[in-house]
Amino acid sequence: MKSIQIFFFLYFMFNYSHAYAYIDPGTGGILLQALLGLVAAIGAYITLYWRKFKNFINKIFRVKKKD
Amino acid sequence: MNKLNFEYGSFRDPAGKIFYSEDEVYRELSEIGIKRFSFLKKDNLIKGLIKEKFLIATEECDKKCNEKFKIEPKKLLLKHEKINFISYPYEWTFTQLKDAALFHLDLQIYLLSRNAKLIDASAYNIQFKNNKPIFIDVLSIDEYSEGEYWYAHKQFCENFLNPLVLSAKKGISFNNWFRGNLEGIYTHQIAPLLSIKDFISPTLFFHIYLLNKFEEKSKIDPKKTNNKISSLKKFTKKSYQNLLNQLRNYIQGLNNKKTISNWDKYSEKNTYNSKEEEIKLNVIKNFIDNSNPKFLGDLGCNEGKYSEYASKQKEINVVGVDFDLNVLDRAYIRSKKQNLNFFPIYADFSNPSSGLGWNEVERKSFLKRSKFDAVIALALIHHLVIAKNIPLDQVIKWLIALAPTGLIEFVPKKDPTSQIMLKLKGDIFPQYTEENFANTLSKLANIKKISLVTDTERKIYEYSTK
Repeated sequence: MKSIQIFFFLYFMFNYSHAYAYIDPGTGGILLQALLGLVAAIGAYITLYWRKFKNFINKIFRVKKKD
Repeated sequence: MNKLNFEYGSFRDPAGKIFYSEDEVYRELSEIGIKRFSFLKKDNLIKGLIKEKFLIATEECDKKCNEKFKIEPKKLLLKHEKINFISYPYEWTFTQLKDAALFHLDLQIYLLSRNAKLIDASAYNIQFKNNKPIFIDVLSIDEYSEGEYWYAHKQFCENFLNPLVLSAKKGISFNNWFRGNLEGIYTHQIAPLLSIKDFISPTLFFHIYLLNKFEEKSKIDPKKTNNKISSLKKFTKKSYQNLLNQLRNYIQGLNNKKTISNWDKYSEKNTYNSKEEEIKLNVIKNFIDNSNPKFLGDLGCNEGKYSEYASKQKEINVVGVDFDLNVLDRAYIRSKKQNLNFFPIYADFSNPSSGLGWNEVERKSFLKRSKFDAVIALALIHHLVIAKNIPLDQVIKWLIALAPTGLIEFVPKKDPTSQIMLKLKGDIFPQYTEENFANTLSKLANIKKISLVTDTERKIYEYSTK
């Protein structure tokens, strides 16, 4: 009897993907969108700081030219 | 009051259900549906959607109409414009599904700018009216709340992106796969078929490769994924719009991978000359003049030459059916360009769309949806009898059941096309003679006219069961 219980315990332990099959698998899409949002935000930051950096460099050269 | 025929396909949404009465389409709204509909009426959103040709014409029924159908006072009744022929995504060509996908994204973008959203991404909610996609499910539109995610993203991928990518990248048509699984093509099914080269595309990398990895992860540990999701930051409207635009740009650039089909060169290589074709067109013209059909089925339409001709004669809606997706796609593109009342769909007559989905009635069979006034079946029956071994009498019975009147072309065995087909198979069709054909047809219908078309004695039989 005990061995049957152990068998079922191990069976359900290692078949987790079936046990949770009722969960909406659309959650993957939400994680993906969060990642895409993050990538876009990082991209926006990089663009912003790149522009700032470019403006800074341009300023230096303009100043030097005036000298 | 006439009998109400409830639409079995509309059971999934508790917000409302469709029924038909006297050839008209109605939707009964529950309390949830009324709430959703009141949002649509706010700021004239519904009027704008109908005006922009996004949504099928929809109006609220008056008190008299509600009484006619014995609608409870707390419910609401809507009347919709009727679509001539309901088609399903597994009957569409590549360009038809692509147009539907772009339309879905355009509708989403339009709605988001008005603080609304689509609650699902089912391709079945899109139908074609005059070759243009139109949205038919008014209850799939709801209010958008700032920060929410696109919950139907997965469904969009399965219904639109994955089938299109399968055709575009691998040259495998999606139709039979889609018909086998009404939810479309799952991401975990398409991901292993794509190569590293395909995943160089950021869209495919994110929306197929990475999505598949995330889905796998969430299956292994759903609790952890759910916890992660509840701790996620809000998804900004701008990100939502960027996502839709990026998918739109990618799909816009997709083209069907070139494959050679049986009927690709049929219009160039068919075995009859232009004089014979003129005779055929004349027969069709006389038939249309005499029978005056409003809804015509062109069975085995190929590139739609006869459908096109018929649709130009009078105010006739033509549905052309063929099993060659390459020629059908060309037919659709041409029909769209010329603004014809001709809509081509995919079906193999030896295995047409059957009743599918829940209780086998969620998606109706081709036969149930084909309420044609007339059919033309030119150069068709020899393909069913000789190529598919379907007995001649069964083919005739099937054709007669599709419409009360029609044209059937009989192609004799001595015709070069039949000869090619018989050469490898051998003549195992003793019943396939004109005499047998005419006898069977005359038992089931009145033969009204017989027209000789070619020197090889191809003949067009006009029949009527009226």
